[in-house]
Amino acid sequence: MILKLYKIRGHSLHPDIREGDYVLAAGFPFPAGKIKAGDVIIFQQPGYGMLIKRVRQVLDEGCTFEVRGTQVESTDSRNFGPVAREQISGKVIWHIRQK
Amino acid sequence: MFHKLAEKLDQHLPIDRVDAHCDIPCGIYDPHHALIGALTVIRMVDLIADAVKTHGQTEGAEYRNHMARYIAVKEEHAELVKHEIRVIWGDFIKEKHLEDFPQLNGLVHKIMVLGSKSRQTVDRETALSLLDAVNEFAEIFWQIKGIETQRVSAPYSVKEEMVLPKF
Repeated sequence: MILKLYKIRGHSLHPDIREGDYVLAAGFPFPAGKIKAGDVIIFQQPGYGMLIKRVRQVLDEGCTFEVRGTQVESTDSRNFGPVAREQISGKVIWHIRQK
Repeated sequence: MFHKLAEKLDQHLPIDRVDAHCDIPCGIYDPHHALIGALTVIRMVDLIADAVKTHGQTEGAEYRNHMARYIAVKEEHAELVKHEIRVIWGDFIKEKHLEDFPQLNGLVHKIMVLGSKSRQTVDRETALSLLDAVNEFAEIFWQIKGIETQRVSAPYSVKEEMVLPKF
């Protein structure tokens, strides 16, 4: 399992995850095997780069995922559609908050 | 404590950034530029009409220069209106908003058509219709944001009404 630390940029998951927070993400194979609704994932989205969003719904028996931010203005599956499993590079297993 | 450790680590061994992405700049949408664009189109139509009235009989270099500039600015601002509305419609407006405001798609299409027509003609009525449509769009936009609006007379050379949020 590959672990990687990321720093958050942007407000799409505010107030759950804030700009400047760090998250530790586990790469494939993901812990507990599956990604489920409520998990926070990191994925590569063409045209947007590396994004972090919360999974709202698991689709196509776990092949694709509907993701959402917390803000009305969040850019998420409402804009670019579901995220394919192959796009996902990690699932957040530890959130390091700022004070 | 862990955040401080991560920051220290980040200083020595840069950590990748991941975007909790809204449209950039995050959460900043406003139909104001579109309104300014629509008002500018009206102003340019007025200036073109004035120039024709004043200098139309003596088409010198000055006249041609003024006219070229007015037309260029009118083109640019009509296109600005279309661009700004397209961005808000594409990036901010979600399916739920279209359900709440079923007239939105038709209204955006109307703005696109009027924007193009404002480029093609010097018809003041068309320019006023463009402003009306953008004002209607602005009212819906601020309603979605839960912010009250007011219609005020524009504080520019063109005094037509414009929709502003009551912050």
